[in-house]
Amino acid sequence: MRDDGGFIRVEGLTVSYDGEHLALGGIDMSVGEGDFVAVLGPSGCGKSTLLQVLSGLVRPVSGRTTIAGTDVTNESVSNRPRVGYVFQDHRLLPWRTVGQNLELVLASAGLPKDEWGARVERFLDMLQIGQHRDAWPMRLSGGQRQRVSIARALAIDPAVILMDEPFSTLDEVTGRRMRQQLVELWQQQQRAIVFVTHSIREAVYLADRIVILTRGPATVLETLEVGTPRPRQYEDPRLTELESEIVARVMEVWGYEDGGAATPESDSPMELA
Amino acid sequence: MSAATATFDRDPGVGQRLLALGTAIALGLAAWQLGTWISDGWIPPLGEIWQATIDAIGSGETWGEMALTSKRIAIAFIVSTAIGFAIGFGMGLGRRVEAYFRPLIVMGLAIPDPVYVIVAILVLGTDESSGVIALTVALVPFVVTIVHSSVKARQRDLDEMSKVYRLGRRRYLTEVLARQVTPALLVASRTSFAFAWKIVVLVEALSQPDGVGAQIYEAFRLLNAAEMIAVALIFIVIMRSVDHLVFGTLERRLLAWAR
Repeated sequence: MRDDGGFIRVEGLTVSYDGEHLALGGIDMSVGEGDFVAVLGPSGCGKSTLLQVLSGLVRPVSGRTTIAGTDVTNESVSNRPRVGYVFQDHRLLPWRTVGQNLELVLASAGLPKDEWGARVERFLDMLQIGQHRDAWPMRLSGGQRQRVSIARALAIDPAVILMDEPFSTLDEVTGRRMRQQLVELWQQQQRAIVFVTHSIREAVYLADRIVILTRGPATVLETLEVGTPRPRQYEDPRLTELESEIVARVMEVWGYEDGGAATPESDSPMELA
Repeated sequence: MSAATATFDRDPGVGQRLLALGTAIALGLAAWQLGTWISDGWIPPLGEIWQATIDAIGSGETWGEMALTSKRIAIAFIVSTAIGFAIGFGMGLGRRVEAYFRPLIVMGLAIPDPVYVIVAILVLGTDESSGVIALTVALVPFVVTIVHSSVKARQRDLDEMSKVYRLGRRRYLTEVLARQVTPALLVASRTSFAFAWKIVVLVEALSQPDGVGAQIYEAFRLLNAAEMIAVALIFIVIMRSVDHLVFGTLERRLLAWAR
């Protein structure tokens, strides 16, 4: 299933919102089919912008993006391979029940109506929220809403799942449970996941590979392979050691949020841990 | 929620609501009676108004006028709401549409309602259409303003979600945008209806030979204050009942998810 040849390829990607200042300063990265890749960077460096480009929400100034061999650089959302997106906030429609939220995206994905019921049931059960199918989203906890959001992303058979700091607003215990559950789901589904985070511990726990970005306008600072075998424990000393190494490397480059410009460096892959 | 907020926001319950309503009615009646005593008979006493109300309810003429006025309100309400929704959505979604209509709407809001009525009479005469057109033109700017501002203030996050999941234009408009601005659409409809039944009285008094407004004006001209107030009271009760039944029910159904 793994395809390091580049199920997703990003080459020289630059993005500017106002035509003057760059949000992304030239990103090169690749994601194999079935890979779990974390994109790590300081707050405001352009991590979310990268996902927005991959999903078609934002068009780049220059560079090239391919997904599953198709050049999607300037394609509209409708002409791209299907993408599941888990936002930082759940972005469920509060006036539709949990089940109806999933049915809406299934209908939009063009899946036959007679499959909707079974799909909704399957993915809600997979995320252990089947009993909330008829509930309004606002009646659910933050963790449950994020589970619905993940179920929605999976239900449409996406080519890739993009996740933008989906657990950052959850409490510590719920966040850990959700991360563990996400890894289990990924191992079952074997779909490529691009997971954006500013938490180094989260990145080393979840990912096979970590793409570290510089402060904005972001470029790739390093790409690290996480060799720690699965299943991993969140408190695994090897992850702690790797986390410390990454902290030491990025400390100078990331600096403080209001200090210093970015220092683009080499993006050669490194084997750690 | 803090304890202070929770106490402040507590549901008063049916008993307290009835007590508040009873107090308001009692104070209103007492004030009216006081006015009767100090007005040298120009303000009719409560008993006289009560009798005039009973007479008006029993009279076929009153219901005929009510039906005619209701028809005018319904036409003006439906047309103004439809036009107002269309322009309001257009302005909220497109900057060019916004730039085109904004001066017209600002101008429309600045013009006093009687001016619409007088201009309609001057242009179209005193036939049936002039009143309805004046009413419609007066209502549209209010509906547009409410719909426009709510569409413009929509959650852009949900726009992004809709794009990523390829909801398409029709589903976006019906399932995301319209549902999101439903509270504002209800407010716009309610405002339109409230203005419609209040302004129609003025329109009929100034330009029509029939309808509730004309009936009230006729009673005023003949110095029959009790009949004037009785007809107005019946009209108010009917319109408030329609508002409560139609819009209250719609609100409960469409916003069930928010409770």
